[in-house]
Amino acid sequence: MLADSFSFNLVELGRFAALLAMTFALIQGLAPMLARWLGEPRLSAITLNASILVFGLTSIGGATLIHAFVTSNFSVTYVAQNSNTLLPMFYKVTALWGGHEGSLYLWVWILTMFTVLVARHGRNRYPEHLPIILAVQGWLIVGFFGLILFLSSPFERLLPNFPLEGQDLNPILQDPGMVIHPPMLYLGYVGFSVPFAFAITALLTRWKSELWIGLIRRWVLIAWGFLTTGILLGGWWAYYELGWGGYWAWDPVENASFMPWLLGTALVHSITVQERRRMLHSWNIFLVISTFALSLLGTFLVRSGVLSSVHAFSVDPSRGLYILTFMVLVLGISYGIFMRQGRYQQAQEDISSMLSREVLFIWNNVLFTVATATVMLGTLFPLALDAFSGSKITVGAQYFNAVVLPLFLIILLLMGITTQLPWRKARWEKLRRRLLWPGVVGVGAGIALVAIYDTIHWTAPVAITLVFFVATTIVIDYVRAVKQRRKQFGDSVWRASGKTVLGNRRHYGGMVVHMGILVMAMGFVGSGLFRSEISVAMAPGDVVQVGNERIRFDGVKGFSRSNYQTVEGSFMLLNSGRSVNPERRRYPVQTNPTTEAGIDSTLWRDVYVVLAEATEERWAVRIWVNPLVSFVWGGGFIMLMGLTLTLSTRRRAIEQRQAAIPAPGGESSLA
Amino acid sequence: MHKLLFLLLIWVAVPVFASNVTEDPLERRMLEIAKDLRCAVCQNQPVSESNSDLARDMRAIISEQLAMGKSRQEIIGYFVARYGKYILMKPAFDQSGTLLWIAPVLLLLGLGSGAWLFLRNRRKAELPPVTPLSAEDRARVQAAEAEDRASERVGDGK
Repeated sequence: MLADSFSFNLVELGRFAALLAMTFALIQGLAPMLARWLGEPRLSAITLNASILVFGLTSIGGATLIHAFVTSNFSVTYVAQNSNTLLPMFYKVTALWGGHEGSLYLWVWILTMFTVLVARHGRNRYPEHLPIILAVQGWLIVGFFGLILFLSSPFERLLPNFPLEGQDLNPILQDPGMVIHPPMLYLGYVGFSVPFAFAITALLTRWKSELWIGLIRRWVLIAWGFLTTGILLGGWWAYYELGWGGYWAWDPVENASFMPWLLGTALVHSITVQERRRMLHSWNIFLVISTFALSLLGTFLVRSGVLSSVHAFSVDPSRGLYILTFMVLVLGISYGIFMRQGRYQQAQEDISSMLSREVLFIWNNVLFTVATATVMLGTLFPLALDAFSGSKITVGAQYFNAVVLPLFLIILLLMGITTQLPWRKARWEKLRRRLLWPGVVGVGAGIALVAIYDTIHWTAPVAITLVFFVATTIVIDYVRAVKQRRKQFGDSVWRASGKTVLGNRRHYGGMVVHMGILVMAMGFVGSGLFRSEISVAMAPGDVVQVGNERIRFDGVKGFSRSNYQTVEGSFMLLNSGRSVNPERRRYPVQTNPTTEAGIDSTLWRDVYVVLAEATEERWAVRIWVNPLVSFVWGGGFIMLMGLTLTLSTRRRAIEQRQAAIPAPGGESSLA
Repeated sequence: MHKLLFLLLIWVAVPVFASNVTEDPLERRMLEIAKDLRCAVCQNQPVSESNSDLARDMRAIISEQLAMGKSRQEIIGYFVARYGKYILMKPAFDQSGTLLWIAPVLLLLGLGSGAWLFLRNRRKAELPPVTPLSAEDRARVQAAEAEDRASERVGDGK
C-alpha cells in the first residue's frame, strides 16, 4: 500500500517536472532575446544551462511515466488505456509510445536530448551562435510541451475510481519492430530540427554560409539515417504483421514519413553543392526549413487524427486547432524570416557549364522536390477536399505508383550520370566514353529481362536497365581508383581496395548508399512486379502450386500463450522441405482476431502464408510468393552501412578543413 | 545428395497422399476487382486486403455478380452507385480527380523551367570578382593541401 501511494506521487512529480521543463524551455527561448533587447549579452549564457535542465526535467517526467507502466499504475489514464498486468515487461516499458500522449512525450523528450547534444557540440565550436540555436529549439520545446501538458497530457489521472485492470496495448503494436520504429522515426523527424535551428540562427545573425553549412551536414545525415531506419522498420513491420503480402501501401501514415525523407535526400545532395561550389545558399535554407516543416507535418498528420477522418479534427477541435496554429506559427515565422533575411545568404560562384555535376545535382533537387510535392498532394488533397466541399475521394497506391515511380526512374538515371561528371565543367567526349560501358551493360540486362519474361510491366526492364547502368558506373570508378592507387603506391590488391575506400570515406560511403538503393530497387521490381498470389480454401493434406512453389497444408493446432490464444497452421514447402506456420491470434481484450503471416524467407524469394477464416474443415488461405523481398531489407542495410562509412570520417579532418575555409575567397584554388 | 534424394522422394510421394487444389478463377477475378475498391470502413485499405465484415461482404457480392456474368465495369459501377467515387482506389479523371493527375506534370514543368531560368541567369550573372588570396591564406591552403595529399585520397571523380 505504501509502495502504491508512493508511485502515485511519482507521476505527480513527473507532471511537475514536465511543467518545470516547459518553464525552463521558455527561459531557454527568451534569454537570447532579452539579452539583445536589454543589451546584456551575459544573459544569453542562461540558455545553455536551461537546455540541460530542460532535458533533465523531461527525462524525470518520462521516467515516472515508464515507472507507472512498469508498476501497472492504472490510476494514470494513459497507462490504463495502453497497458495491462498481463503485458510482458518489454512491452510495458515501450507502451510509453503506444498511444497519442506518450508518442508526443517521446517526441519532445528526443527534442530536448538533441538540444543538449547541440549544446555539447557547439560549446567550443560556435559559442556566439549557440544561444540562438538553442533558443529556436527552446521555442519548439515550449510549443510541444504546451500541446502535451494542456491538451493531451499523459499524466492525467483516473481518480478516485481507477480501474484494477487496464485495457491492452493494441496487439499489432506488440512487436519488436513496432517498438523500435517510432523512436527511430522521431529521431529522424526531430533530428531535422537541428539544421532548422541552425538555418534560422544563420538567417537572424547573417551567419556566413560557409561557416555553418559544413556543421549541419553531419546532423542532416544523422537525421536522414534515423528516418531511413524508421521507415524501413515500419515497412518491415507492415510486411510481417499486417498480412497483406506487401510492405508499402502508400498509406497516408507512410507518406507522412516519406515526405521529409524525400526532401531530406534532396538536401543531403544540395548541401554538397554548396560546400563544393558555394552556391544554392538560399535554396538550401529553404530545403532545411521545408524538411523540418514536413517532419512536423508528418508528426501532426499521424497524431492529430485527421487521417482516419477529417471529422476527428472537429470532434476534439482544441487539439487540432492547437496543432494547426502551432504549425502555422512555426512555418509563418520561419518562412517570414527566410523572406526577409534570405538575401544575405548569397551564392558566391556561378555556373560554368550546363554540363557539370552541380547542374545535375540541381536537376536531382527538382525531381525530389516534385516527388515530395506529389506525395503531399496525394496525401492532403483528399483531406482538403473533404474539409472544404465534403466530397470524398480516395487516393490509393495506384495513383502514387503511376505518378511517382517515373520520377524515381529519372532520378536513377541521374544517379548514374552525375557521379561521372566533374564539378564545374565536363566534356561531352569524355562523358560519352565513361557512360558507354555502363550503358551497354544496363541495356543488356534490360533486354535479357524482357527476353526471359515476355509479359511484364514496362517499368521492370527500364528499372533493371538503370540499376545495372548505375551499378556499373560505380564499379568501374572504384576499380579505376584502386588501379590508380596501386600504380601510385605499389600496394597489393587488397590493401589498395581497402585504402581506396577508407581514404575517401565520404565519397565511397555515398557510393555504398547508392548501391544499397540499387539493391533495394531490384527488390522493389522483384516483389512488386513478379509476385505470384493465390487465394484458396484448403483442407489438411491439400497441395497448391504458387509460382514455382508447391505447398501442402498440414492442418492447424490451437494453444494459448501468456496474453493471447492462438491457432497455428502448418504448411510444408515441398520444394525445400521447410515449413511455415502462420497464426491467427485472439487477444482477450480485443474482439477481432489478428493474423500473423507465416514467412519462409530466402535470398531469392519469400513464401508468405496467411491463414484467413475457417469454414467447416477447410481454411481460407492466401499465399504469396514474393521474389527478392530480402533485397529490400538488404538494400536498406547496405544504405545504413554506407551512411556509417560516410559519417566515420575522422572529426579532425573536418575541423581542419573548417579552419581552412574562413578566409573569404580563400578556397577557390583548393577546388 | 541426401537432400536431393529426400526432395525427389517428396516430389514422387506427394501425389499419393495429397489432393491438389487450385485457385478458383472466379476468385482471382474477384480479387482483381476488389484490389481497386476501397473498403469503406477501413483506413485506406482495398477490399482485397481487409479483414473487416464489410470487405468480406463486398467480396461476396463481387463473386456473386461475377457468377451472374456481370463485367468488371458493371460491378465497379454497382459499388460507385452506392458509395460514390470514394470507393475507387485510383482517383478518376473528373473535376476533382483531374487536378491530382495533372498537378505533378505542371509541377515538374514549373519547377523544371524555374531551374532552367535560374541556371541561365546564373551563367550570365556578373558576380563580384574573387579577391586574391593573401600570402597568409595561401600558406594555409598549401599546408592543408599538403596534409591532404599526405594522408590519403585517390579518386573522387576529379
